[in-house]
Amino acid sequence: MSRQIITSLVSRGLRTVDHLAPPAVAHAHCDIPCGIYDPHHAQIAALSVLRMDQLIEALGELPSGASKADADKWHNSFARYVLVKEEHGELCKREIRVIWGDYFKPEHAEKYPELNTLVWNILKLAGKNRQEVNKPAAEELLGQVQRFAEIFWETKGVQSKRQPSNQAVGGELVVPA
Amino acid sequence: MPIARYLVEGPSMEPAYRDGERLVVNRYAYRRKRPAIGDVVVLRDPDDSGRYLLKRIAKAPDGVDPGPSRVYVLGDNHNASRDSREFGLVPRKRIIGRVWFRY
Repeated sequence: MSRQIITSLVSRGLRTVDHLAPPAVAHAHCDIPCGIYDPHHAQIAALSVLRMDQLIEALGELPSGASKADADKWHNSFARYVLVKEEHGELCKREIRVIWGDYFKPEHAEKYPELNTLVWNILKLAGKNRQEVNKPAAEELLGQVQRFAEIFWETKGVQSKRQPSNQAVGGELVVPA
Repeated sequence: MPIARYLVEGPSMEPAYRDGERLVVNRYAYRRKRPAIGDVVVLRDPDDSGRYLLKRIAKAPDGVDPGPSRVYVLGDNHNASRDSREFGLVPRKRIIGRVWFRY
């Protein structure tokens, strides 16, 4: 037996064992925080959610009497838009949660009394945007994430500005001025 | 058991060992010989015995003598790893074993 086959068999066997009893975790974490945070990804995720709502709207209804091929195409597009909306809704939550939990300090929340409610709203809104095809909710999510980004840059003593996203979706991004 | 299975979590040993990789560790590797510089080992966290770390045996800095029963360990990504620079020399008996292969 070749070495490759043996390796493959051993690997398969061990993975089967892993299913029965998961391996212990060997930690190789970055234990020193990198200290790099940026609300850019959260805004891109919110824009992506809005873009998916636009695409779903543009897709329209499945024409009655559509051929199997056309119906497959329609369903495939619809499924992809919903999937991406799901992913980016969740990504938005994750990005906001990390900045809120790891970067913001109690003194920031004191200086910006709206901060904690803002984060709570964003998490709720992102969930709503996953549950529904709802363009106004997506626009509201983007607005709240933009406000979050403005507060973030202010706490770093950096002036920010709103600029067009220059993407098909339209909308604006908050960036350091 | 002479071997143990571990799942790598985190990037501090990249690119040698990546997040999510599965490793087989030889627990008898140091029965007859000493840990050598460059060996990648799984060890018990000096600050938390219930936790396992993946590190590489390294040469101790000048003026630090590990002696026969202790080792100096580092993560491969020095700026992203908690290792002997922070928790000092590690007793050899805290080493679970040497990484043998990934699967």
